[in-house]
Amino acid sequence: MDKIIAEGEVNRNPIIKLIDVEIGYDYNQPLVKIPDLEIFPGEIVAIAGPSGVGKTTLLRTIAGLVRPISGMLEVCGATHPSKPVRGSLGYVPQRLGLVRHTSVIHNVMIGANAGHNKSLRSILTSEEPKFSSIWSKITSKDAKKHALSAIESMGLTEKLNEPIRKLSGGQQRRVATARTLAQQPSLIMADEFLSELDEETMKMVLNEVTEYIRNSDAALLVVEHDISRAKSMADRLLVIDDGRVNPFISEVTAIEVKI
Amino acid sequence: MKRNVVSFVGPLPFLLYFTSALLVMYILAPQKLALYIISAIPIMIISLIALSIIAIMISSGNYLIKLSLLSTILFSFWIFNEMVDGDWGRLSGSFENLLIFFSESLWPPDWSVIEPQAYPVCTVYPLFDFTCSTAWIGLVETLKIAFVSTVFGMMLSLPISLLAARNLNYWGVSYIFRFILASFRSLPSIIWAIFFVILVGFGPLSGVLAMTVYTVGYLGKLQYEAIEGLNKTPLYAAQAMGLSKIQTAYQVVIPESANDLISQAIFMFEYNFRHGTVIGIVGAGGIGYYINLYLKFLQYDKVIAYLIIIFIVVLIIDLISIFARSFFTEGGDTPRRQSWIGVFLPSAMLRSEK
Repeated sequence: MDKIIAEGEVNRNPIIKLIDVEIGYDYNQPLVKIPDLEIFPGEIVAIAGPSGVGKTTLLRTIAGLVRPISGMLEVCGATHPSKPVRGSLGYVPQRLGLVRHTSVIHNVMIGANAGHNKSLRSILTSEEPKFSSIWSKITSKDAKKHALSAIESMGLTEKLNEPIRKLSGGQQRRVATARTLAQQPSLIMADEFLSELDEETMKMVLNEVTEYIRNSDAALLVVEHDISRAKSMADRLLVIDDGRVNPFISEVTAIEVKI
Repeated sequence: MKRNVVSFVGPLPFLLYFTSALLVMYILAPQKLALYIISAIPIMIISLIALSIIAIMISSGNYLIKLSLLSTILFSFWIFNEMVDGDWGRLSGSFENLLIFFSESLWPPDWSVIEPQAYPVCTVYPLFDFTCSTAWIGLVETLKIAFVSTVFGMMLSLPISLLAARNLNYWGVSYIFRFILASFRSLPSIIWAIFFVILVGFGPLSGVLAMTVYTVGYLGKLQYEAIEGLNKTPLYAAQAMGLSKIQTAYQVVIPESANDLISQAIFMFEYNFRHGTVIGIVGAGGIGYYINLYLKFLQYDKVIAYLIIIFIVVLIIDLISIFARSFFTEGGDTPRRQSWIGVFLPSAMLRSEK
């Protein structure tokens, strides 16, 4: 297995580090084995593979919703996902997880508040918490500002107060992406976040997300069943294979593939 | 669309038909009304049993389900026979007793209950002098008790139900709060009313306290079941994003289940009004106080007047509640608003019109 890491990135701390991790819901029957995976700031990594192989489960494990069966899993330097770590994880589930009865701005504000929590916590736990900075965090409209700019970048400004259930599938997907961007996380996990979008919107969303990843040194881990699309957007490609792609393998393993 | 038999034979048209027939009989031949009711009762019972058996036969295709339902019905008849202990002869005199009780004590109703009381002196404009009557005062007090206890109960039950929902808490926490809710619910509101009458004395205060306690137990159960029925994905997303429990509760859980919560609160108000008429009997305020009073004086004609008033008001509040709740219950994603006519007719009849 060969890693494609640009020069100078070797010394940086990885955002995600997985060593010999087995994942799945049944302890006796692990779905996927991941020998080694490290994701560094500024990288876009796509997970591809046939359906039902465990791509989403891998994402849920990294998000801390499912416990790994064995192995070492480190996210943002912590082995167990605690609240401060989780505040810097953005997650776009396949079914989006939007609050359907409320407006677009409410949903994006959920993400913005999660990010706000994180920054407030980091100020409170810093060595010398300054009262003025805490006060400015509590009273400032930072969260609202982030939410509005995320909605604008997704082109949903006109739908600001529209209830989610009245939006189309693609628009809902953009709301979920805006929610993650408003959170300003250091790792975005997105599950098929480009499906249901037309060609133009897809490019726009991808551009915005990529720009965010490159500018703020975050990482993007994206599940994509379409391998050609995955290759076009990602720096690295992780293929989870149960023998349907490469018939010579004996166990379900995540393999890095050169692009 | 496939229509089933049960939706056509809804209880509401049956009731309307029955009451209108009684009204016509009362106008034509007031003396024979009791006889008419008595002859209608066995026909009603037999037709209901026959209808339920037919409904079972038609609705389920599975032979085993049919057999088990039929045997359940037969089994309950057998148990009933055991309890009566062969003394079916007791039924023989009952019709005559009812006839005598009805024609001599109950009918006609004494409508003096909606006339103003002699004391305190009524000072309102004569057209509105019914507002000084015992029936009006009792009804308004029952409505007040129901409203206040529903709001108080909702304020208390919402945080408890958030703690009792298994998808938001560790199982230990949720079981403790479930136990609390179940203990509130285990006694009917009339027993709570007896307790609170002993604690704080007669009057609406004890009624409000009793109804509030029962509302917390009952509404809390409805609420945590609604919360547990929520879609899991928004909760997972909130968990992964690192929202705190309180933030998850008021940003995700409550907005997502708001429709259910509002609909349940309206239902609870309706329920509290119906039960508020009963708690007055133990002295906890409301119209039940006057019913109890006239029962003790054996003035059954006044009692039946109160009962008819309660029946009409409960029916009106039921209909308003169904109409109000239809704004908040959803079929699929788009809310289906019910028309006024839809409140009065069963849904199958409306569908056939279109």
